Amino acid sequence: MTSRPLMTVRIAAAPPQKLGTVPHGIRSIVPVTGGDFDGPRLRGKVLPGGGDWLLLRADGVLELDLRITLETDDHALIYMKFQGLRHGPPDVIAALRRGEVVDPARYYFRTLPSFETSTDKYAFLNRIISVGVGEARPNGAVHRIEEIE
Amino acid sequence: MTSRLLMTLQVVVGPPQKLGAVPQGTRVVAPITSGSFEGPRLRGKVLPGGGDWTLLRSDGVLELDLRITMETDDGALIYLTSFGLRHGPPEVLAALARGESVDPSKYYFRTAPRFETSASQYGFLNQLIAISSGDRRASGPIYTIEEIL
Repeated sequence: MTSRPLMTVRIAAAPPQKLGTVPHGIRSIVPVTGGDFDGPRLRGKVLPGGGDWLLLRADGVLELDLRITLETDDHALIYMKFQGLRHGPPDVIAALRRGEVVDPARYYFRTLPSFETSTDKYAFLNRIISVGVGEARPNGAVHRIEEIE
Repeated sequence: MTSRLLMTLQVVVGPPQKLGAVPQGTRVVAPITSGSFEGPRLRGKVLPGGGDWTLLRSDGVLELDLRITMETDDGALIYLTSFGLRHGPPEVLAALARGESVDPSKYYFRTAPRFETSASQYGFLNQLIAISSGDRRASGPIYTIEEIL
Protein backbone atom coordinates (compact mmCIF):
# COMPACT_ATOMS: atom_id res chain seq x y z
CA MET A 1 0.00 0.00 0.00
CA THR A 2 1.26 3.44 -0.88
CA SER A 3 -0.07 6.80 0.18
CA ARG A 4 0.76 10.47 -0.22
CA PRO A 5 -0.11 13.57 1.81
CA LEU A 6 -3.50 15.03 0.95
CA MET A 7 -3.89 17.74 3.56
CA THR A 8 -3.63 18.67 7.20
CA VAL A 9 -6.91 19.86 8.72
CA ARG A 10 -6.86 21.89 11.92
CA ILE A 11 -10.25 22.00 13.61
CA ALA A 12 -11.35 24.46 16.28
CA ALA A 13 -14.14 23.16 18.48
CA ALA A 14 -16.58 24.58 21.02
CA PRO A 15 -17.14 22.92 24.40
CA PRO A 16 -18.81 19.50 24.06
CA GLN A 17 -22.53 18.99 24.55
CA LYS A 18 -22.52 16.06 26.99
CA LEU A 19 -25.61 13.95 26.39
CA GLY A 20 -24.56 11.24 28.80
CA THR A 21 -25.35 7.55 28.60
CA VAL A 22 -27.39 6.51 25.55
CA PRO A 23 -28.11 2.96 24.37
CA HIS A 24 -24.87 2.75 22.32
CA GLY A 25 -22.51 4.31 24.86
CA ILE A 26 -21.71 7.78 26.21
CA ARG A 27 -22.57 10.48 23.67
CA SER A 28 -20.86 13.88 23.36
CA ILE A 29 -21.42 16.28 20.49
CA VAL A 30 -18.62 18.71 19.69
CA PRO A 31 -19.60 21.71 17.53
CA VAL A 32 -16.95 22.80 15.04
CA THR A 33 -16.47 26.57 15.06
CA GLY A 34 -13.74 26.96 12.44
CA GLY A 35 -10.28 25.94 11.39
CA ASP A 36 -8.11 25.67 8.32
CA PHE A 37 -6.54 23.12 6.02
CA ASP A 38 -3.66 22.95 3.60
CA GLY A 39 -2.01 20.41 1.35
CA PRO A 40 -0.09 20.21 -1.93
CA ARG A 41 -3.24 20.61 -4.03
CA LEU A 42 -5.67 22.59 -1.86
CA ARG A 43 -5.93 24.95 1.07
CA GLY A 44 -8.56 27.03 2.77
CA LYS A 45 -10.68 27.28 5.88
CA VAL A 46 -13.15 25.17 7.83
CA LEU A 47 -16.59 26.77 7.96
CA PRO A 48 -18.43 26.94 11.26
CA GLY A 49 -21.48 24.70 11.61
CA GLY A 50 -20.12 21.19 11.47
CA GLY A 51 -19.56 18.86 14.35
CA ASP A 52 -18.23 15.60 15.67
CA TRP A 53 -20.77 13.19 17.14
CA LEU A 54 -18.62 11.25 19.61
CA LEU A 55 -19.59 7.95 21.16
CA LEU A 56 -17.57 6.35 23.94
CA ARG A 57 -18.19 2.62 23.61
CA ALA A 58 -18.33 0.03 26.35
CA ASP A 59 -14.90 -1.29 25.31
CA GLY A 60 -13.32 2.11 26.00
CA VAL A 61 -12.95 3.05 22.33
CA LEU A 62 -14.11 6.53 21.31
CA GLU A 63 -15.93 6.51 17.96
CA LEU A 64 -15.78 9.73 15.95
CA ASP A 65 -18.36 10.79 13.39
CA LEU A 66 -17.38 14.16 11.96
CA ARG A 67 -19.10 16.27 9.33
CA ILE A 68 -17.70 19.64 8.26
CA THR A 69 -17.68 21.93 5.25
CA LEU A 70 -14.36 23.14 3.85
CA GLU A 71 -14.00 26.27 1.74
CA THR A 72 -10.91 26.50 -0.45
CA ASP A 73 -8.99 29.72 -0.99
CA ASP A 74 -10.59 29.88 -4.46
CA HIS A 75 -14.09 29.52 -2.96
CA ALA A 76 -14.98 25.91 -3.72
CA LEU A 77 -17.04 24.14 -1.07
CA ILE A 78 -16.10 20.61 -0.02
CA TYR A 79 -18.16 18.43 2.27
CA MET A 80 -15.89 16.29 4.40
CA LYS A 81 -16.98 13.54 6.73
CA PHE A 82 -15.19 10.81 8.56
CA GLN A 83 -15.61 8.01 10.98
CA GLY A 84 -12.71 7.25 13.25
CA LEU A 85 -11.47 5.53 16.37
CA ARG A 86 -9.48 6.82 19.33
CA HIS A 87 -8.13 4.72 22.20
CA GLY A 88 -5.05 4.28 24.31
CA PRO A 89 -3.67 3.52 27.77
CA PRO A 90 -5.93 4.79 30.60
CA ASP A 91 -3.41 7.38 31.86
CA VAL A 92 -2.99 8.83 28.37
CA ILE A 93 -6.74 9.03 27.77
CA ALA A 94 -7.19 10.64 31.21
CA ALA A 95 -4.61 13.30 30.31
CA LEU A 96 -6.45 14.01 27.04
CA ARG A 97 -9.72 14.40 28.96
CA ARG A 98 -8.04 16.94 31.25
CA GLY A 99 -7.19 18.94 28.13
CA GLU A 100 -3.47 18.29 28.26
CA VAL A 101 -1.26 18.08 25.20
CA VAL A 102 -0.09 14.49 24.70
CA ASP A 103 2.34 13.06 22.15
CA PRO A 104 -0.03 11.52 19.54
CA ALA A 105 2.27 8.51 19.22
CA ARG A 106 1.03 7.46 22.68
CA TYR A 107 -2.54 6.77 21.55
CA TYR A 108 -4.36 5.41 18.50
CA PHE A 109 -6.37 8.04 16.64
CA ARG A 110 -7.17 7.10 13.04
CA THR A 111 -9.95 8.20 10.72
CA LEU A 112 -11.37 7.47 7.27
CA PRO A 113 -12.21 10.80 5.61
CA SER A 114 -14.33 11.08 2.49
CA PHE A 115 -15.22 14.09 0.41
CA GLU A 116 -17.92 15.48 -1.84
CA THR A 117 -17.52 18.45 -4.13
CA SER A 118 -19.10 19.72 -7.35
CA THR A 119 -16.00 21.69 -8.37
CA ASP A 120 -14.09 20.12 -11.28
CA LYS A 121 -10.74 21.29 -9.96
CA TYR A 122 -11.21 19.28 -6.77
CA ALA A 123 -13.24 16.39 -8.20
CA PHE A 124 -10.32 14.04 -7.51
CA LEU A 125 -11.48 14.18 -3.89
CA ASN A 126 -14.71 12.40 -4.89
CA ARG A 127 -12.68 9.40 -6.14
CA ILE A 128 -10.20 8.57 -3.39
CA ILE A 129 -10.02 6.53 -0.24
CA SER A 130 -8.00 8.28 2.45
CA VAL A 131 -6.81 7.79 6.02
CA GLY A 132 -6.21 10.39 8.72
CA VAL A 133 -3.86 10.35 11.68
CA GLY A 134 -5.38 12.48 14.41
CA GLU A 135 -3.91 14.52 17.20
CA ALA A 136 -6.19 15.76 19.99
CA ARG A 137 -5.69 19.37 21.07
CA PRO A 138 -7.26 21.16 24.04
CA ASN A 139 -9.77 23.06 21.85
CA GLY A 140 -9.89 20.96 18.74
CA ALA A 141 -7.87 18.48 16.74
CA VAL A 142 -5.35 18.21 13.92
CA HIS A 143 -5.81 15.55 11.25
CA ARG A 144 -3.01 14.62 8.85
CA ILE A 145 -4.78 13.01 5.92
CA GLU A 146 -3.16 10.80 3.32
CA GLU A 147 -4.61 9.65 0.04
CA ILE A 148 -4.40 5.89 -0.55
CA GLU A 149 -2.89 5.52 -4.01
CA MET B 1 1.59 6.35 7.96
CA THR B 2 2.43 2.70 8.43
CA SER B 3 0.36 -0.42 7.92
CA ARG B 4 0.64 -4.19 8.11
CA LEU B 5 -1.17 -7.10 6.52
CA LEU B 6 -4.37 -8.01 8.32
CA MET B 7 -5.77 -10.59 5.94
CA THR B 8 -6.47 -11.55 2.38
CA LEU B 9 -10.20 -11.95 1.76
CA GLN B 10 -11.71 -13.67 -1.25
CA VAL B 11 -15.46 -13.56 -1.75
CA VAL B 12 -17.49 -15.58 -4.22
CA VAL B 13 -20.25 -13.62 -5.92
CA GLY B 14 -23.55 -15.05 -7.13
CA PRO B 15 -25.55 -13.79 -10.13
CA PRO B 16 -25.89 -9.99 -9.88
CA GLN B 17 -29.30 -8.49 -9.29
CA LYS B 18 -29.45 -5.57 -11.72
CA LEU B 19 -31.87 -3.01 -10.35
CA GLY B 20 -31.03 -0.48 -13.03
CA ALA B 21 -31.22 3.29 -12.85
CA VAL B 22 -32.25 4.53 -9.40
CA PRO B 23 -32.11 8.17 -8.30
CA GLN B 24 -28.54 7.82 -6.98
CA GLY B 25 -27.07 5.98 -10.01
CA THR B 26 -27.14 2.45 -11.41
CA ARG B 27 -27.69 -0.07 -8.65
CA VAL B 28 -26.47 -3.67 -8.84
CA VAL B 29 -26.70 -5.96 -5.81
CA ALA B 30 -24.15 -8.79 -5.81
CA PRO B 31 -25.00 -11.63 -3.41
CA ILE B 32 -22.03 -13.20 -1.65
CA THR B 33 -22.35 -16.98 -1.58
CA SER B 34 -19.09 -18.00 0.12
CA GLY B 35 -15.42 -17.19 0.40
CA SER B 36 -12.39 -17.42 2.61
CA PHE B 37 -9.92 -15.25 4.46
CA GLU B 38 -6.45 -15.73 5.85
CA GLY B 39 -3.96 -13.58 7.69
CA PRO B 40 -1.25 -13.79 10.36
CA ARG B 41 -3.79 -13.67 13.21
CA LEU B 42 -7.00 -15.16 11.79
CA ARG B 43 -8.39 -17.37 9.10
CA GLY B 44 -11.69 -18.91 8.16
CA LYS B 45 -14.59 -18.78 5.75
CA VAL B 46 -17.20 -16.34 4.53
CA LEU B 47 -20.76 -17.33 5.33
CA PRO B 48 -23.45 -17.14 2.67
CA GLY B 49 -26.01 -14.36 3.04
CA GLY B 50 -23.99 -11.21 2.59
CA GLY B 51 -23.76 -8.98 -0.41
CA ASP B 52 -22.26 -5.99 -2.10
CA TRP B 53 -24.70 -3.15 -2.81
CA THR B 54 -22.87 -1.48 -5.68
CA LEU B 55 -23.82 1.89 -7.14
CA LEU B 56 -22.41 3.26 -10.38
CA ARG B 57 -22.39 7.04 -9.96
CA SER B 58 -22.87 9.60 -12.71
CA ASP B 59 -19.14 10.44 -12.59
CA GLY B 60 -18.26 6.87 -13.55
CA VAL B 61 -17.11 5.82 -10.10
CA LEU B 62 -18.47 2.55 -8.72
CA GLU B 63 -19.29 2.74 -5.02
CA LEU B 64 -19.10 -0.55 -3.13
CA ASP B 65 -20.97 -1.29 0.07
CA LEU B 66 -20.10 -4.81 1.19
CA ARG B 67 -21.60 -6.55 4.20
CA ILE B 68 -20.62 -10.09 5.09
CA THR B 69 -20.31 -12.40 8.06
CA MET B 70 -17.04 -14.22 8.51
CA GLU B 71 -16.50 -17.35 10.59
CA THR B 72 -13.04 -18.08 11.93
CA ASP B 73 -11.59 -21.57 12.07
CA ASP B 74 -12.19 -21.52 15.85
CA GLY B 75 -15.85 -20.68 15.49
CA ALA B 76 -15.97 -16.89 16.09
CA LEU B 77 -18.30 -14.74 14.02
CA ILE B 78 -17.09 -11.40 12.62
CA TYR B 79 -19.31 -8.87 10.88
CA LEU B 80 -17.51 -6.95 8.16
CA THR B 81 -18.73 -3.84 6.37
CA SER B 82 -16.65 -2.21 3.71
CA PHE B 83 -17.21 0.97 1.77
CA GLY B 84 -15.10 1.35 -1.35
CA LEU B 85 -14.51 3.01 -4.68
CA ARG B 86 -13.58 1.54 -8.06
CA HIS B 87 -12.75 3.46 -11.21
CA GLY B 88 -10.32 3.43 -14.10
CA PRO B 89 -9.83 4.00 -17.81
CA PRO B 90 -12.92 3.05 -19.90
CA GLU B 91 -11.16 0.19 -21.75
CA VAL B 92 -10.00 -1.35 -18.45
CA LEU B 93 -13.48 -1.16 -16.93
CA ALA B 94 -14.93 -2.66 -20.14
CA ALA B 95 -12.51 -5.60 -19.85
CA LEU B 96 -13.56 -6.12 -16.20
CA ALA B 97 -17.22 -5.99 -17.25
CA ARG B 98 -16.51 -8.76 -19.78
CA GLY B 99 -15.13 -10.87 -16.93
CA GLU B 100 -11.52 -10.73 -18.11
CA SER B 101 -8.55 -10.82 -15.76
CA VAL B 102 -6.94 -7.39 -15.52
CA ASP B 103 -3.79 -6.33 -13.70
CA PRO B 104 -5.24 -4.56 -10.62
CA SER B 105 -2.61 -1.82 -10.92
CA LYS B 106 -4.48 -0.64 -14.04
CA TYR B 107 -7.49 0.62 -12.06
CA TYR B 108 -8.28 2.12 -8.65
CA PHE B 109 -10.09 -0.27 -6.31
CA ARG B 110 -9.73 0.66 -2.65
CA THR B 111 -12.00 0.04 0.32
CA ALA B 112 -12.18 0.78 4.04
CA PRO B 113 -13.29 -2.34 5.95
CA ARG B 114 -14.74 -2.16 9.46
CA PHE B 115 -15.23 -5.08 11.82
CA GLU B 116 -17.49 -6.07 14.71
CA THR B 117 -17.02 -9.11 16.89
CA SER B 118 -17.84 -10.22 20.41
CA ALA B 119 -15.03 -12.81 20.48
CA SER B 120 -12.36 -11.56 22.86
CA GLN B 121 -9.50 -13.16 20.91
CA TYR B 122 -10.48 -11.02 17.93
CA GLY B 123 -11.45 -7.90 19.87
CA PHE B 124 -8.53 -6.04 18.28
CA LEU B 125 -10.60 -5.94 15.09
CA ASN B 126 -13.14 -3.67 16.83
CA GLN B 127 -10.39 -1.15 17.54
CA LEU B 128 -8.55 -0.67 14.27
CA ILE B 129 -8.85 1.33 11.07
CA ALA B 130 -8.05 -0.62 7.91
CA ILE B 131 -7.91 -0.12 4.17
CA SER B 132 -7.80 -2.64 1.36
CA SER B 133 -6.74 -3.00 -2.24
CA GLY B 134 -9.14 -4.94 -4.42
CA ASP B 135 -8.45 -7.24 -7.34
CA ARG B 136 -11.60 -7.91 -9.30
CA ARG B 137 -11.76 -11.48 -10.63
CA ALA B 138 -14.48 -13.15 -12.67
CA SER B 139 -15.63 -15.28 -9.71
CA GLY B 140 -15.45 -12.42 -7.23
CA PRO B 141 -12.99 -9.92 -5.79
CA ILE B 142 -9.89 -10.55 -3.71
CA TYR B 143 -9.14 -7.94 -1.07
CA THR B 144 -5.74 -7.44 0.52
CA ILE B 145 -6.63 -5.79 3.83
CA GLU B 146 -4.07 -3.82 5.82
CA GLU B 147 -4.35 -2.50 9.34
CA ILE B 148 -3.38 1.16 9.76
CA LEU B 149 -0.89 1.22 12.62
